[in-house]
Amino acid sequence: MTPTAMTATQASEFRAAGTDLSERRRSGVSTGPLIDIAAAPDMIGTHWGADGNLRLGAFTTIAAIAADARVVAAYPGIAASAQGLATPQVRHFATLGGNLAQRSRCWYFRNPHIACLRKGGPDCPARSGNHLYHVAFDLGPCVAPHPSTMAAALLAYDAKVMTDQRSSLTIGELLGDGRNGGSDNALLPGEMIKSIELPSPLQGERAFYKRAISRTHAEWPLVEVCARAVVKDGTFQFVRLAAGGIAPVPLRLAAAEAAVQGKQASASAIADAAQQATSGAKPLPMTGYKLDLLKGVVRDLLEKIAE
Amino acid sequence: MSTMTINGKLASLPDDPDALLVDVVREALDLTGTKLVCGAGVCGACTVLVDGEPAVSCLMPARTAADRNVTTVEGIGAEKLHPVQKAFMAHDALQCGFCTPGFIVEAAAFHDSWRAAKGTAVPSREEIGAALSGHLCRCGAYDGIFRAVADACAGRFDGEEFVPPRMEARDKVTGSAKYTVDIHHDGQLEGVILRSPFAHARIGELDLTAARALPGVSAAISLLGDDRIVRFVGEPIAAVAAKDRKSALAAIAAIKLVSERLPSVIGLDEARRADAPVVFEKSTRRKAGNVSEGAGAPASWKGNIRGPSAAFSKKPKKVRSWIDSARSANSPLLVEGTFRTGTQQHACLEPHAAVARFEGDRLTVHVSTQAVFHLMELIAKRYKLDHDKVRVIADHVGGGFGSKAALGVETTTAIELAREAKAPVRVAYDRHEELSVTGYRPAAEMKVALLPSDQGELKALSFTAYADTGAATNSTIAALARLIYPAEGKELADFDVISNLPAGAPFRGPGGPPMAFALEQAIDEAAVRMNIDAIALRKRWDPDPNRQRLYDWASSLEVWRNRKPVAAQGGRYRRGVGVATGYWLYLWQPGSKVEVAVKGGRLIASTATQDIGTGTRTVIADTLAREFGLEPHEVEVRIGDSKLPEGPGSGGSRVTASVIPPMLLAIEQLKAAIRQNAKRQPVPGSNAPWREMLAASPDLAASGVRPEDSRRTAPGVQSPLKQAGFMGWIFGWIMRWFSNLAIGAGVPSSVQVVEVEVDTWLGHVRVVNVHTGIAVGRIVAPALARSQATGAVIQGIGYALYEAREVDSRTGDVLSGGMEDYRIPGIADTPMIDVHFDQRGFDHVLGGSVGIGEVATVPTSPAVANAIHHATGVRLTELPIRPDRLVAALKGRAAA
Repeated sequence: MTPTAMTATQASEFRAAGTDLSERRRSGVSTGPLIDIAAAPDMIGTHWGADGNLRLGAFTTIAAIAADARVVAAYPGIAASAQGLATPQVRHFATLGGNLAQRSRCWYFRNPHIACLRKGGPDCPARSGNHLYHVAFDLGPCVAPHPSTMAAALLAYDAKVMTDQRSSLTIGELLGDGRNGGSDNALLPGEMIKSIELPSPLQGERAFYKRAISRTHAEWPLVEVCARAVVKDGTFQFVRLAAGGIAPVPLRLAAAEAAVQGKQASASAIADAAQQATSGAKPLPMTGYKLDLLKGVVRDLLEKIAE
Repeated sequence: MSTMTINGKLASLPDDPDALLVDVVREALDLTGTKLVCGAGVCGACTVLVDGEPAVSCLMPARTAADRNVTTVEGIGAEKLHPVQKAFMAHDALQCGFCTPGFIVEAAAFHDSWRAAKGTAVPSREEIGAALSGHLCRCGAYDGIFRAVADACAGRFDGEEFVPPRMEARDKVTGSAKYTVDIHHDGQLEGVILRSPFAHARIGELDLTAARALPGVSAAISLLGDDRIVRFVGEPIAAVAAKDRKSALAAIAAIKLVSERLPSVIGLDEARRADAPVVFEKSTRRKAGNVSEGAGAPASWKGNIRGPSAAFSKKPKKVRSWIDSARSANSPLLVEGTFRTGTQQHACLEPHAAVARFEGDRLTVHVSTQAVFHLMELIAKRYKLDHDKVRVIADHVGGGFGSKAALGVETTTAIELAREAKAPVRVAYDRHEELSVTGYRPAAEMKVALLPSDQGELKALSFTAYADTGAATNSTIAALARLIYPAEGKELADFDVISNLPAGAPFRGPGGPPMAFALEQAIDEAAVRMNIDAIALRKRWDPDPNRQRLYDWASSLEVWRNRKPVAAQGGRYRRGVGVATGYWLYLWQPGSKVEVAVKGGRLIASTATQDIGTGTRTVIADTLAREFGLEPHEVEVRIGDSKLPEGPGSGGSRVTASVIPPMLLAIEQLKAAIRQNAKRQPVPGSNAPWREMLAASPDLAASGVRPEDSRRTAPGVQSPLKQAGFMGWIFGWIMRWFSNLAIGAGVPSSVQVVEVEVDTWLGHVRVVNVHTGIAVGRIVAPALARSQATGAVIQGIGYALYEAREVDSRTGDVLSGGMEDYRIPGIADTPMIDVHFDQRGFDHVLGGSVGIGEVATVPTSPAVANAIHHATGVRLTELPIRPDRLVAALKGRAAA
């Protein structure tokens, strides 16, 4: 609307399927040179290791991950997260690497006429403005939640990220700790995600994914959680909870994990873990509701796992 | 240069790395069945198959399609219709049709893979809902889409084609229907508007020189008003026309302007403060827009507050004193509450768009409009042209819902740019424009007090509404509470609160849904306090004969009879059933004409109205065919062109009641003329006497003008305005003389019973079942009326649960300018919907039919809220009932 557009960056950007980038290019939020990725075969598809571990090519589509029977069996939380994001048409083409490296969905960031930290501006307009869909764990100057559903799922699985410049990055190392308001990830200039390595699944583990939204499908999560657990003899022997939609980066819900670790898989232990899920939360004036939803989602998932 | 294969043919792809597949398909290849709507991969209107996989072409770089096979809707069933296309036609799984090509492409792919894997097994609603979750339909045709996809997968449409209930269905399922955005003249330019980045500013210098000098730019014009003041973010400043959108955007960026910021105020609360900056000074108030369907009465202004408009009150002082006494006495019967509704965007999938072309002194404008004839008059008046020099065309319109009834900036800008550039110009809004500056149903804050008498009658109602109208006025919410539930006294006051936001506009039953949201919850609460069945109480308090019959129907529903006490369940998921009532005025347009002709043996009906998806073409065809004992597809309907005899606008649910009576008169004349001219009469006992006579008839024509209704009405059927006495008479007179709308006798009505399931953990509401009872007289086209009824419920669910425009309260920027942030219902949000038509009550109207569009959506949001109350014991007083509000409300109860 104004003659002066607020562009995110003039730096070059990699383009995989373009399902995030195309909209930013059209609106003028992103204007730098484009580098279309020519994917080598090892960047596409599943590559299984001898001990049941998995290397997922960064150029693998989200739909392929969701539909792969072996992924569904070994890493159900990854497959369910892939199945739960975006829309069928987007999942057919969007890639795993692109999902991890996508930019913020904040409505201030996406408006080409508004300055914000992510676009080199001086402050975060959402913090003092309308942040209805923003973070409830206020960890840094930018209050937009990280948009990558796959990142939360990979965090739950202790996945490692291989790039063309570095190897074995944790999701935390890939995306940062949320204190850097200026970017959506900690990739170096010109660095490209090549593949993701998943350790072999634990014996007897189960996993589920759930997002809280207002409608039934096709909505960015208000809160989303990928939960893994091993329940043996009625006891939680291992629990991993990773949440998205609530913080500038996906978060492990360590207090909730600790609350049920080694405990009987009872309704009261699960309810207690749900309460602990919000440990460390710092909601904004408009996002307190996300804590209620977070408790609800954690409770829902742990009950499913314990069934 | 790389190439793709598209619908079996080779096509080259542009080198531009930013070129998107949708633009290549639509602009370069003119395959306009593929629609561009959200531009963000949310709505699916642009879906094509790429190597067999559905893809959103709005996000796909064109070069991704290199060496691949692309199939657009034009390639689906190119030789023979696909079973899914036939099923969509048969189940009337479409209305305006703008989303239909995308749905067809996706559903065809789903069908083909389903059939390959599962034969003729029937997919569940959940499976269909998930498969089509990347598509949005604003008309809410989902009920038919579910049935169409299920039946196609079951193999029920493998056979021959047949005649669909909707006249233009085939054009819509094949993508051949042309909308305004699809019009492409030789040498056509693209117009783009420079909009204000400020909520309030005076534009000093506006320098278009640099913009004009850029390559490919043919025109640059100022759009500033005489005071050069912009009053909201997005107010037009200037416009350019260039050879393509990219050049036009470059020219927009080259415009230089000097502006002086003025103090601004955003929204209902801030604008009401005594020290708030004033948006319209006295001399500029006429610039404000209008949020109602008719002209408004004068009202006083104080700062940004216009009102009270309280002419429909009855004994307001007594009402105040009765309510004050009841409050001091702590009367348990006094129901008081404050209700808030959100700003609802029309969110038409076809954006506001116009294509203007001058040929000598003749101007032809294709416009996505709800009123071809009236728009022609407005354009002629504004540009001082004779009526016969201006032609407005709208063959197909991709949704309107009230937002496309006026002469809009897209149209005037296209005309002015075309005049300056001496070339045809298209102006088509982008999604952010569509979701910010094209109008909306204003948010409202409503204070209600309702007092039953000791005898259990309705004694007093006090209803004060403040509407968040932006740069507009004339909200009518409280006044509508006069025309239902008669009481000893009513204190009704409407206020417009003007602020530096874009102007609101009429939206499907303007004022009706917010009024019903507040009043119907107050009635529900009164029933709880009085310990009486909520339908029985309405039956006692609401004597309207149409609704009396609907109440009997509703109270006989099993889901209602089996209702448990309020908040009878614990646990995470809780079910509840709620009821609500809605009404709308029966409006018709005086002067509406229909010509009926026989030409070359074929019957043709012509009138300058338009079909915005509501089914007007079919209503006309069905009526004409029925009167001559023919099938609808044997007759021709000409609409969508202002050159035709004057027809009604598609607003105020007026079209059916405006065109059928004059058409029936014309048909009688034509029949007489055919008989007179017939060389021989049909054989006695012929099955199709008229078919024979038409075949033998010379070319003849007759036309009818909308007659007044019969004064002989059924007992109790009267104009709703009668309840408002002398003021009602005045209001009727104003509507007729200033808005060319007559308010007839009889009240179109709807009673809805809704069942919800509340997930108390995640604040999620699922509407499970809806029963909608509707009294709008005789149903002309049953399948299409059902589509209107179900679509109205779905839009009502959007209003109830999801939809809210969000703005930045400091800057006035609209934040929900994309379809991912402005949330309309998806297919999986659709409940089971049972439609009941009560066809009596309008025998005094020639043909017996009145409009359905608006009334059918009025009661949905309060019925949902009442059902949530029934499920949880908590009353949700603010729309939309999002998870954030629901979890807070549930907690409030726990805390208390």
